[in-house]
Amino acid sequence: MNDTVITAKELVKEYGKGATLVKALRGIDLDISRGSFTCIVGPSGHGKSTLMHLLGGLDHPTRGTVLIDGQDMFRLGNKELAGLRAKKIGFVFQFFNLLQSLTALENIEVALMLASVPEKEQKDRAKKLLDSVGLGEKADAKPGQLSGGQQQRVAIARALANNPPVLLMDEPTGNLDSAAEAEVMKVLKKLNREGKTIIFVTHSNEIASRADNIVYVLDGQIQVPQELRRAG
Amino acid sequence: MTHRKLIFKSLTRRKGRFLFTLLGIMIGMASFVTFMALGGSLKSQIERESAALGANLVVTPKGSCAYEQVSILTGEQLPTNITKDEVAAIRSIEGMQAIPYLAERSAIDNRPVSVMGILPEETRIFKNWMLAQGEYFPEETADGAVLGSVLAEQFGLAPGSDVRIRGVDIRVLGVLEETGGKDDLTVFMSLPVAQKLYKQKDLVSYVAVRVDRLDEVELYANKIKDKVSLGVVSDKQMRSSVLSIVGTVNMTLQMIAAVAILAAAFGIVNTMMTATYERKREIGILQAMGATRNGVFRLFLFESGVYGLIGGIGGAVMGGLAAVFATPFISQNAATSFVKGSESSLDPTMFAGAILFSTLVAMIAGLYPAVKASKLSPVEAISYE
Repeated sequence: MNDTVITAKELVKEYGKGATLVKALRGIDLDISRGSFTCIVGPSGHGKSTLMHLLGGLDHPTRGTVLIDGQDMFRLGNKELAGLRAKKIGFVFQFFNLLQSLTALENIEVALMLASVPEKEQKDRAKKLLDSVGLGEKADAKPGQLSGGQQQRVAIARALANNPPVLLMDEPTGNLDSAAEAEVMKVLKKLNREGKTIIFVTHSNEIASRADNIVYVLDGQIQVPQELRRAG
Repeated sequence: MTHRKLIFKSLTRRKGRFLFTLLGIMIGMASFVTFMALGGSLKSQIERESAALGANLVVTPKGSCAYEQVSILTGEQLPTNITKDEVAAIRSIEGMQAIPYLAERSAIDNRPVSVMGILPEETRIFKNWMLAQGEYFPEETADGAVLGSVLAEQFGLAPGSDVRIRGVDIRVLGVLEETGGKDDLTVFMSLPVAQKLYKQKDLVSYVAVRVDRLDEVELYANKIKDKVSLGVVSDKQMRSSVLSIVGTVNMTLQMIAAVAILAAAFGIVNTMMTATYERKREIGILQAMGATRNGVFRLFLFESGVYGLIGGIGGAVMGGLAAVFATPFISQNAATSFVKGSESSLDPTMFAGAILFSTLVAMIAGLYPAVKASKLSPVEAISYE
């Protein structure tokens, strides 16, 4: 299976100018296969999150391109790029993913709303998504009434709302205890088996060891790409 | 979920802050609406009184300015500078009717009322009065008083009872039918009796003139000026000069209300700025989920617009109620505002205008915070903790 869903070419990201110039990424080339589980690992401050933001079209690179399904993201206008985020990519961040004034169900409905799903269909779809992460009975709970692991599962359900091919996760389990982490990983593994491409930024070697690919980012460059074959 | 629901949920997240910001704009709009309504009712009252006067020309004391003209229309006490001889001279001009009045004030149960000395028979015909109870003045110099209908009702007076004016008990002869003007709130006495009571021997306050031929009003004004050295104004001039005073007062009051609204608008700016800081991360999340910059901008702009909309509706209702209940206390002519036809000043276009205005002000106030919110880059917003 050689089908790539995301391709990054010579990706460079610099902040500031002159003496304060920070080279966050120094030329990254990366192919992400469809249906793979890729972990981006590396020390803090070496460009993992910057890379993820660029892969998800949240930020613009200084140079280089990112193709998603063959489409150059940064040739798109702001509006088209936002539309692409709504439909092709699901994001989960480390914490405070949810809108605090809305219930679990409503948080998912917002993602559907932003992809122009009619209001009538939103509730049913949102319920099914919550069920799929095992939180069907928490539909009317506000984020404050959910545990950290539950909040992240709602965030995953929301990321799945528009059935995007790619899920981008920025340390989604970074704030969780090991039991909650296991809950979240179980859900992600299941999604990966169902064919979702998952890109996962993490500090945890334990999680990385279970991935198909590990991308090790050091000083804004990829070091020794390691290919781990999926068992079986 | 719709954008509208999202806006309301975000707005009501901080209930206290929502309420206080809302109260600010509501109070501002309420004062604005109150002053507009009061101004409107004052204006229509002036127009009604001017019509009720039934005169084309009014002869006022020499050197009189707008103050006297206001007083004629509102039933205030007037200086009595017009002499018996001058009245006779005016009345001798052919082709017009001239009716002298002595306008004074008194109080019944500590509430101010107008007292008018009149020529009973001529005034009755001039004003088309009908009698509701009792009898009218049996002769030109009869003792006793005839009352306006609202006044009689307010103080529980009927023919046969006594009304105390300037320490003298005066027998009530009759009560007039309602006229819809300030006559309903006036005690009428025959001119000589009133002149004696107020120690204004042979003097009157003003003379109302009705000419037989309307197109010759100017001519008669000049004829009067030739005969006596007094001020003559037409009812139109009088109305417009009084209305211009009322207009100035209204304008001043509305400016004060505008300041209140301006302060409230800054309250909205403040609240929305706080909201953009507080929800910085949420803005990033929304952008990651596919919200456009324009979408974020509209979300915040409409949030502040809602303050204006609800504030405008609340303010219009509060202001309308205040106008209805406050007018009698603000206006000297206590009951005039309850006299028939006075509710016309609460006009629906004014309410609609007020609500629209307040929504517009709130959206302008929300412009800067909304631009700020939409300018946030997704990465910056998400990285904010």
